[in-house]
Amino acid sequence: MLRVALVGCGKAAENHIREIRKLSGASLVAVCDIEPLMAEQLAVRYRIQKHFSDMDAMLETERPDVVHIATPPQSHLPLAVKALDAGCHVLVEKPLTLCYGDSQKLVAHAVSRERKLTIGYNYYFDPIARTMRKLFAEGVLGRPVHIESFLGYDLSGSFGACVFANSEHWVHRLPGKLVHNVIDHLLNKVAEFMSDQVTVQARAWQRATHRHPTCSMPDELRLMLFDAGTSAFATFTSHAQPVAHFLNVYGTKNTARLDFEAGTIALSSTAALPGALGRLSRTFGQGFQCLREGSKNVIRFVRSEYYALAGLNFLINAFYDSIRQDAPVPVPYQDILKVAAMSEAVFAQLRENRSLVA
Amino acid sequence: MTVLVTGSTGFLGAAVIERLLARGAKRIRCLVRPSSDQARLAALASAYSAGRVEVTIGNLQSAAGIERALIGVDTVYHLAGAMRGPPAGIFLDTVVASKRLLDVIASHPVKRFVLVSSLSVYGLADVPVDRLIDETTGLESHPERRDAYSYAKLRQELVVQEHAARAGFQLMILRPGTLYGPGGPAFSPRVGLTVPGWLLHLGGNNVLPLSHVSNCAEAVVLAGTSNRLEDGAYNVVDDDLPTAAEYVRRFKREVGRVRSIRCPFFATMLLSQWAERWHVSSRGQIPRVLTPYCTASLWRGHRFDNRKLRRAGWTQVVSTRDGLTRAFDDLRSRSQAATRLPAVTRTDGLG
Repeated sequence: MLRVALVGCGKAAENHIREIRKLSGASLVAVCDIEPLMAEQLAVRYRIQKHFSDMDAMLETERPDVVHIATPPQSHLPLAVKALDAGCHVLVEKPLTLCYGDSQKLVAHAVSRERKLTIGYNYYFDPIARTMRKLFAEGVLGRPVHIESFLGYDLSGSFGACVFANSEHWVHRLPGKLVHNVIDHLLNKVAEFMSDQVTVQARAWQRATHRHPTCSMPDELRLMLFDAGTSAFATFTSHAQPVAHFLNVYGTKNTARLDFEAGTIALSSTAALPGALGRLSRTFGQGFQCLREGSKNVIRFVRSEYYALAGLNFLINAFYDSIRQDAPVPVPYQDILKVAAMSEAVFAQLRENRSLVA
Repeated sequence: MTVLVTGSTGFLGAAVIERLLARGAKRIRCLVRPSSDQARLAALASAYSAGRVEVTIGNLQSAAGIERALIGVDTVYHLAGAMRGPPAGIFLDTVVASKRLLDVIASHPVKRFVLVSSLSVYGLADVPVDRLIDETTGLESHPERRDAYSYAKLRQELVVQEHAARAGFQLMILRPGTLYGPGGPAFSPRVGLTVPGWLLHLGGNNVLPLSHVSNCAEAVVLAGTSNRLEDGAYNVVDDDLPTAAEYVRRFKREVGRVRSIRCPFFATMLLSQWAERWHVSSRGQIPRVLTPYCTASLWRGHRFDNRKLRRAGWTQVVSTRDGLTRAFDDLRSRSQAATRLPAVTRTDGLG
């Protein structure tokens, strides 16, 4: 049984707790937060035996095998290093650190300590993302040509309200501010298709209709990415409704359309029939795929597998398996670092074109 | 003499500012978040003589803003808190925010602290319904079984009491029931739950523990100014209250049509048992909306006693009859402006 501890008892922590609790080979032994009341509330609500406000004390007394870090990103590097030094394997929420150099250091530190490290890329392991990878592996999609990654966000929700109400909120202190907190979800779905030699073009701005007197951080982001063989568009928007989250993967044979909100994946294929018949067959083909995906999701619903964090559950389980079996980690380090490098290039460009004011 | 009000831009906050001004408060300082809409506050300030209301922009998560707001203050009216959002967010904005405020008060002493809490802090699941719930009723002993709001308000009270004992300021805790009034919500959870276009009417013939926002504000201001109140907690509910069924009937007659399904208590308990089982068996896929424990706490029909507050000199500034008439007039004009059922805002916890 793996002994698991969690550091950071804010909004992200509950997702981890719920998914850890579903796994039979792991036991959540303690939670920790620099604010004792936050640690206490999580322990009370989830009936966790121990709670701490001092991470050193928790590591010393509980000796966990795995530590999940769900604190603001500014503290990820020192806390992850501390946990690795205590002999723990570490799962860090995204973004891994504040910059590419720090991410490199952290990965190198995990390797040198012979501990495993992973990152909270839940959508990367969403059931439809895994199906898409299977389609690539089976050759159904061919080779990737172009990717469209789209992430919508509702700033009128509780997180947005917190950020705008408090000018000292940690989001304002991130190098990439609000977009820094979400960019991993855009780029981790792109990184696996691209080489290390990526050219980035980035634009970000605060939409005029949403200007806030005390806050000028961008809430819209558009990216174009190119390497020798593949291109990608990435969109982060805080204003388009309904809030959408999708990925279109255009291959040399077929195109996969992944809708993360609905949990569906559909293939667009070249019509087998000519002319108008071909167009008709495509329409009915799309309808059939909707029906098939809907039916699959009904089955997943009945099995209690149809929920937004199914990918996080898979990730945590795969990470724990990699620890038990000393197998490769679920997210390759090179992909984590590729995302960190892309993010850094984006923020550098946004600073250069004055979209981001320090 | 300066008083500080947190949460002054909210539904109750604006009413408290108005009562303070009406009672002649000389200097009212409002700690306001940068993102808050100050229009209502500005309108109130301009309606009275200039310079009596001042705004300090800040946040209860930041000591610097709190320190600025506390300069020269001898009474704090602490209304700020969160009612919606993720549980950790509600806790952070209610409990941790209170602790931050109290930490600064330790070095900027005040004489009196008025905390606006909630009736939801009582542990009522096992209390017989024929017992009148007064301030001696025990607090919730299983906060983990209640909703996030109730837990946060309970823990907030305890944090404030600990600090009061250390710092030695007078502490008045007000526990209002369901706030209503112009600008307020149409239905509270004590009446029932709403799904778009429908009301699942769970309150039945329970007497609603309503508090008109002006009456509650009067109690808050009294707690901050009167010498007749002793330290401690006070229930804040009005007299001559309607039942949930009467409220729904009057709403239909005076505001407009609402499709409602009345669910008797035993059926609500059965529904809650089924909902909780489904929540567990679906491993959280179905949200924890109803549980037998919360249902027993909220919809069993407990009545709340306001005699302690009345003995301290509180009287309603708005009669329940007039208050309901004005509230329904306001709801009618709002529902005529919108085509759908007025949005429901939770005014107290689900438990």
